[in-house]
Formats: sequence, C-alpha cells, structure tokens
Amino acid sequence: MTSTYEKIATNTLGSAAASVTFSTISGSYTDLVLVANWGVSVNGDGTIIRFNSDTGNNYSDTELYGTGSSAASQRRSNASFIDITRAIAGDGTNIYTNAIINIQNYSNTTTYKTALLRSNLATGTYAGVAALVGLWRSTSAITSITILPASNNLLSGSTFTLYGIKAE
Amino acid sequence: MLNTVLASLSEGIAPSTNSYESIATVTVGGGGSSSISFTSIPATYTHLQIRAIIRGTASATNIDSIIRFNNDSTIGNYYYYHQLYGDGSSATSNNANSDTTATLYSFAPAANATASVFGGSVLDILDYSNTNKYKTTRSLHGYDNNGNGFIILRSGLWMQTSAINRIDLTPSSNNFAEYSQFALYGIKGA
Amino acid sequence: MATTYTLISSVTVGSGGAANIDFTGIPSTYTDLLVKYSIRDSNNSISQNINLTFNNAGGTAYSERLLYGSGSAAQSFSSSSAANINFQYATGVAATASTFSNGEIYIPNYAGSTAKSVSVDSVVENNASGTAMGLNAGLSSNTAAITSVKLASPSGTFQQYSTAYLYGISNA
Repeated sequence: MTSTYEKIATNTLGSAAASVTFSTISGSYTDLVLVANWGVSVNGDGTIIRFNSDTGNNYSDTELYGTGSSAASQRRSNASFIDITRAIAGDGTNIYTNAIINIQNYSNTTTYKTALLRSNLATGTYAGVAALVGLWRSTSAITSITILPASNNLLSGSTFTLYGIKAE
Repeated sequence: MLNTVLASLSEGIAPSTNSYESIATVTVGGGGSSSISFTSIPATYTHLQIRAIIRGTASATNIDSIIRFNNDSTIGNYYYYHQLYGDGSSATSNNANSDTTATLYSFAPAANATASVFGGSVLDILDYSNTNKYKTTRSLHGYDNNGNGFIILRSGLWMQTSAINRIDLTPSSNNFAEYSQFALYGIKGA
Repeated sequence: MATTYTLISSVTVGSGGAANIDFTGIPSTYTDLLVKYSIRDSNNSISQNINLTFNNAGGTAYSERLLYGSGSAAQSFSSSSAANINFQYATGVAATASTFSNGEIYIPNYAGSTAKSVSVDSVVENNASGTAMGLNAGLSSNTAAITSVKLASPSGTFQQYSTAYLYGISNA
C-alpha cells in the first residue's frame, strides 16, 4: 500500500561539500517537504536553493524574520536563487541551523512553483527565526533541488531529507 | 503535589502505522469555483491538515478566503483572525473581528498578479473532533509575486465544541481560479 | 513497508490538571521528532509560555530566537544559556473558555550526536483582540540523543483536555 507521506531520499554529508542535490525526483507525489539540519564552513555564509539547476534570475522571495531584538520583513526580486537563510547565517563551525521547506504541487506544469519555508538558528552572530515564501517562475515540474552555501562548503554531518506527500 | 502526565514506551504504548493519510482532494477546473467543500469528514483522525495552492479570479492583486465549519454561519461563532505577517518591508501583527460568521483562511494572488503565480498554504487544525474544545486554526501561507507578496502566520477560532465534519472554503470575492488545489489530510493521534 | 510518519505516543490531561507532559523512553529508530500540542494553562492570562526540555536537562543548555505577534504588534525576543526553550504558547484561563493553543515542535536529527535545533510554530486564539503567536528557533547544545521530551507549565498546571502527540518521522 502506498503511504501518503514517504521519504524520497536522504543525504548526510560524510565530509564537507560544496552542494547537495536531489535529482530525478519522481513526479508521483503532490507536495515535497525538505527537512535540513546543517552548518556552513565560513562564519556568516548563507545557504541558497535552486530548482532544476536553473541559475537564471527566475527566483524571488518575501521573508518575515526576527533577530531576537527586532522583527522585520524583506524581499528579493529577480534573483538567481531562493535564499533559505536570508536573515540568518551559519557560524562556520556548528550544525545549528534547521529549515523545513514545503513545495506544493511541485510537478504541476501549469503553475509557477511556490515554496513555504521556516528557518531557524537560535544562537550566534547571525541568529534568527524566519518564515519565507519563495517563487520560481517556471512551469516546469521540479525534478531536482540543489542546496548550496552562498560560498564555500556545507559542513560534514549536515543532513538533508526529502519527503513526498501524495494527495489522493 | 501536581502530577506529571507520563507517556512512556516502556508502558507498552504501541506505535501506529501510517499516521498521516490523504482524505480528499479538490482541484478547481476550468471556469473556476465559488467555493470548495470537504464533507462527511470522518472522526477517525485526530488532526486535520489542508495543503493548498490558491489563486483567485477577482480583478485584484490578491484575495483572501474564508473557512467555515459544519455549515455554521452563525453570527458570533467565530473570531475572524489574528496574524503576524511580512510584506517585504515591515513585520506586522494585527487582528480583526469584522466577520464573526467565519474565520479567515489564506491570502493568495488574484487575476492582476503575474500569471501562473499561486499562493501556498498549510493549515492545521488539532483535535478537530474533540467535543471538549473550541477549534483553533493555524496556518502558514503566502505568495511572492516578484516585487510584492506576503508571508503570514495566521490563526482563527470557531467557538463550537462540535466535531468538525465539514469544511467550506470561499474566496473573498469572485472564484478560486482553475488549477487551485486543496488537499485534506488526516493525522492519527491514537 | 517502512512507515515515515508514525505516532509514537499521546497524552491527554485528566481532571485535576498536570504540571508536565513528559514523553520518555523515546526510541532512536526515527530521524526527526514532531510534537503537536493543544494546551490550556491555569495561568490567569491570555497566554502562557511552555517550558520545553530534553532528557530532563536544564542548566544553561538552551537558546532561542522568537518572532512574536500579539495581535497588535510584531516583536522579536531572544534567550541564551537558559534552562529551557520557552517561547511556545499555551492558552491561559483569561482567554475564551474551551480554547486551547495550537502548536507544533519539530526536532530534526534528534538521535544524532550534534546539538539539537528546534522549529516551533504556535498560536493562541481568543475572542478578543489580544493573543499570542510565535515562530521560534530553539537550540539545545546538549549533543546526546534525545530520549525524553518534556513540556512543563512554568508556574501552574495544564488544564484538563490539554493534549500532546509525539510523532516520529523516519528517513529510513
């Protein structure tokens, strides 16, 4: 019996890596949920996400965030990525950041793709909490997701798991 | 001494399987839809979740949509909404009770937004069939339109203890657009 | 076939209330933990914090960053070197009767050997303008696998019919 909520793939880094990619994502689910728990190799480095290896300026996002002292919102338009840690950044040492990214109707070939995400980093110079909605202006089905630091590497021990949710 | 309620696997609480299940899905067809209904919702789950992509047909940049339970539109039975949101320039928290016959569900793009842009939404209702509780909704939703948009944490309240057996979703004006999709999931708690 | 999303345990508070809800003996066989909770607290306010700890550890192991909405203002708060993560909300008895909070706590890689980062979304509803809602980032610097999760009232009791559900999410 097919389960509604299934693991598609998981990636735990055994050594530092420049990126993580989930490829050949099946179109048989309705939504994707990406759960990430990671660190970056350079203090202050952010982390971005791209779909289908698209590096064009086809992304944008609106973010709501808190730093621990101020609540704010910001936006990015015509970007070449969605920044999943826009308001926060790793400390270069610890695996302290987590994010939960919902991508609904990822294989729909009529709509642009909207991602809802929560990101969390509770301590450090670049700590904060955020909710973000991102847009990929493409009607292509998402078949790959790449996560990478804005520069440098993801830390060894970082984990990324992709789940599929299937609506009947 | 006040007690602790303890849940320990050593006491033999067996884990269930497949706690997350699809109940029903509605995809809006050509011509749009003035409302979406989930009826005859079984009481066999503990929580409900609606995952949706939404666009409206109204001649506007965006629409809101409302939610009613069990066909109840009694004045005073709902608190409309509380929310915390970002619009790309500032963070705001506000509330409204201008309509007490429903609670507000999800903000989404409409016909004047860039074509093919749909809002995303995840709505959670815990203990939906618990007859000792009023029903609190929690949603994280929003849309980005490459230069405008919103990301919102929103809550609403239905002040009835009845088990939820029906959910109706209605746009604030005109229709839900074709390809909007609403998927209802049940999550077991026993 | 392996199941991904599994109820591990659930708790419903009985008459007389409870100071804590404590999930113990959590197996390491899942990847992430998810707690869904619906809680009302005896505190005479619209909302009350819930103290979250792991493995009964207090001390100075916890940090958090909160984005908070009161229904009229958006604010952000932080806590460091604390004895718990407490920026998640129960409904207090000054709020509308029969109303309980709606919250979710996600803990990725709870059985791993690194610090434990936490994502919390919680809302309190009330038939009035004032409320509490928050998005919270939490962290326990303790690297031990989580084997217990405790939700505690800071100064009172969780009311009858309060509930909490612990789920395991598996990437196996």
